[in-house]
Amino acid sequence: MRLLRLREVKAFFQGHAASHQLGWNWIPRLSLSPKGLKILAASLSCCRWLSDRQRHELGPSHPAGPGPLSGLGRYLQHCPHRSPLLSVVLYPQVTPQAPRGLHCSTAAHNPDSPLVPRPPEPQRGLVKALAPHEELFRQAPDGVRDKASFVQAVQNFTQYNVHKRGHVDFIYLALRKMREYGVERDLAIYNLLLDIFPKEVFRPRNIFHSIFLHYPRQQECGIAVLEQMENHGVMPNKETEFLLTQIFGRKSYPMLKFVRMKLWFTRFKNINPFPVPRDLPQDPVDLARLALRHMEPDLSARVTVYQMPLSKDSTDATDPTEPHIVGIQSPDQQAALAHHDPARPIFVEGPFSLWLRDKCVYYHILRADLLPPEEREVEEIPEEWNLYYPMQLDLAYGRSSWDDYEFNIDEVEEGPVFAICMAGAHDQATLAKWIQGLQETNPTLARIPVVFRLSASSGELLASSSGLEETPLTPPEGREEEENNQQRQQQSQS
Amino acid sequence: MALVHKLLNGTYILRKCPKPSVASCPFLSTRFADYCSSSLEKPVAAPGKASSQRKTEGNLEGHHQREVDLDITSPEDKPEVSFDKAIKEEIKDHFRRLKDDIVNHWIGPEGRPLHEVLMEQAKVVWQFRGKEDLDKWIVTSDKTIGGRSEVFLKMGRSNQSALLYGTLSSEAPQDGESGRSGYCAMISKIPTGPFERKRFYDWSQFNTLYLRVRGDGRPWMVNIREDTDIIQRKDQMYSYFMFTRGGPYWQEVKIPFSKFFFSNRGRIRDAQYQLLLDKISSIGFTLADKVDGPFFLEIDFIGVFTDPAHTEEFAYENSPELNPRLFK
Repeated sequence: MRLLRLREVKAFFQGHAASHQLGWNWIPRLSLSPKGLKILAASLSCCRWLSDRQRHELGPSHPAGPGPLSGLGRYLQHCPHRSPLLSVVLYPQVTPQAPRGLHCSTAAHNPDSPLVPRPPEPQRGLVKALAPHEELFRQAPDGVRDKASFVQAVQNFTQYNVHKRGHVDFIYLALRKMREYGVERDLAIYNLLLDIFPKEVFRPRNIFHSIFLHYPRQQECGIAVLEQMENHGVMPNKETEFLLTQIFGRKSYPMLKFVRMKLWFTRFKNINPFPVPRDLPQDPVDLARLALRHMEPDLSARVTVYQMPLSKDSTDATDPTEPHIVGIQSPDQQAALAHHDPARPIFVEGPFSLWLRDKCVYYHILRADLLPPEEREVEEIPEEWNLYYPMQLDLAYGRSSWDDYEFNIDEVEEGPVFAICMAGAHDQATLAKWIQGLQETNPTLARIPVVFRLSASSGELLASSSGLEETPLTPPEGREEEENNQQRQQQSQS
Repeated sequence: MALVHKLLNGTYILRKCPKPSVASCPFLSTRFADYCSSSLEKPVAAPGKASSQRKTEGNLEGHHQREVDLDITSPEDKPEVSFDKAIKEEIKDHFRRLKDDIVNHWIGPEGRPLHEVLMEQAKVVWQFRGKEDLDKWIVTSDKTIGGRSEVFLKMGRSNQSALLYGTLSSEAPQDGESGRSGYCAMISKIPTGPFERKRFYDWSQFNTLYLRVRGDGRPWMVNIREDTDIIQRKDQMYSYFMFTRGGPYWQEVKIPFSKFFFSNRGRIRDAQYQLLLDKISSIGFTLADKVDGPFFLEIDFIGVFTDPAHTEEFAYENSPELNPRLFK
């Protein structure tokens, strides 16, 4: 009997696996001689890969009942032909199919069954090349893709592939799939992926191993896992260190990368002076509150949701008639607004974009134009107004007349900002409601003309020349840029 | 004229960049046509003006086509194509600058009296009050490697600030070797003296970088490059992060120079050295925070000052685990 070719072996197994679905109509092209069958069985003898069906197929002389060797193997033991074993390299992609066949019923399977679909046969040369283990990640096409199913897929790989063949490819594939399953920031998952590597095999044992990059593909794969951790800001822990030492040894490149990550992550952990929490609140009102607090440096400012009767509570943002409106105003701003000259208009400008981690929100501001220099009055506080503590404290660095820490430039001066708000919709009606709400704490606002300068949403700050007056033109424009905003919000959130 | 020609060529050798064949012989009449055509192809300002020549020379320095959307010829700027005149003006301009340079050297460093320079504690290095201030900057994005980010630089509100805006896209280019993408950068041009000699900034009296910016909440990275007298230092830079708050208020960002860490070819090095301030060549702002979407950054001015409360020399220790050789 001729020696088996690898593809014939694969065809046999794939046909075997496929036959679950095709209802046993498929007759294997390859008629295996007993010798071939024995080779197969010997190499597969550690797993129960043959179903009961196969046992029936082979003949009634077969002893019934499960044993340490599956039916075929037992059959072959009685076979008179003996031959040296061929070590058949089996494609691990085939392996996960058969075990599921063990437990399934004899009923015919339709394609919609939740079983793993038939893997593409590599000999046919498919146009769309799938990754070697991609079917492991297609366990439940209707099922939810979450951590549990990801862990399940990984465990399937390790369980049915004791020798971990193709683990490098599998790990690269798993790294790519992490984002779909939403586990890219989970340290336990990364440790699980590192756990897939066989231990103690890739450690350098003598000086020649350590000079030359020992097992370069595996080291690159380890570095890729750590690099994805770095990209998502996941800090590795002691378990990672132990795994890396166990797999690659202490002098390897993944271990070096781990040491660097440990050093630089701890150095740069708290350098953001305006930290934003990792998990942003889903509720738009809470998000608006967080964002407004983030923007306003004055700590005595108050977030005034109660002032907006149409916002808050349970109003969902999808309701177009009642979007949430959250505003913030500090006491200094209130005082400035109270002193504002009613003859000059104030402007509602917006929307401007603010990024919180990866979410973009939009806000509007209420501001006045800068007073020309001749009209600016400097308020003088008489010195004896308060004898207990100084009202004005100038804590400049300058020690004496020779110290000058001022920059020789006139800073950009802009008009004062009186309040900031975040609303669900960016049209004039919503902002008018905001102004009405503001009037409760700023009674002078009722006498000041308010002009709405709502710009086309291009993500940049308004140019001063594109001011729109309160003309009938604004509602259609408002609607336009509301659409634009929503589009962009969807785009940024997608 | 020949001297100038030699000097021009000589500067290119000093800078160790590929010698541009086009600008090598601007005086030969046969080459005029070549010069004309190449400068017309470039999307920069009209030929025939002195500024254009400087710009083309700047372009040939190795920054490929980075002035995206920066310079659009205004309709009233009709070029009068007279190369003799342009080149003569350019030469005169260079000689004037050389003369100013020599005269200023007698007055003091950079033309200011010595006591003023020594006592200075806060200095504005870049300000944005006009179009010519924008010319000192180059904007790049990952379009150079085939990505999709766009970035533009223009004057901001009422000509008092510069607005850097655009869209970031982290879609990797399908060129088989880039796994990630998505960055935008604004880099200052290297200061040049007469005859395009490379100059550097000397900030050795100062210890903090001061920026007055207004961002949208995105984290930026500030990079400082040192003067490359010695070859092959062009990949090294010192960087630190600048976190913008977002919001309608101007933000003052003060970064002490001791916080800048050293990196080579985009990767942090194990052995960290202090940023030495006596030969600074350029500064740059980069945005690469892996979040797709539009961004903007408004800059009022950039300055350096001495913070007397800051006494740290260098913020990063070298670790014996990573660098055993430094601790022998």
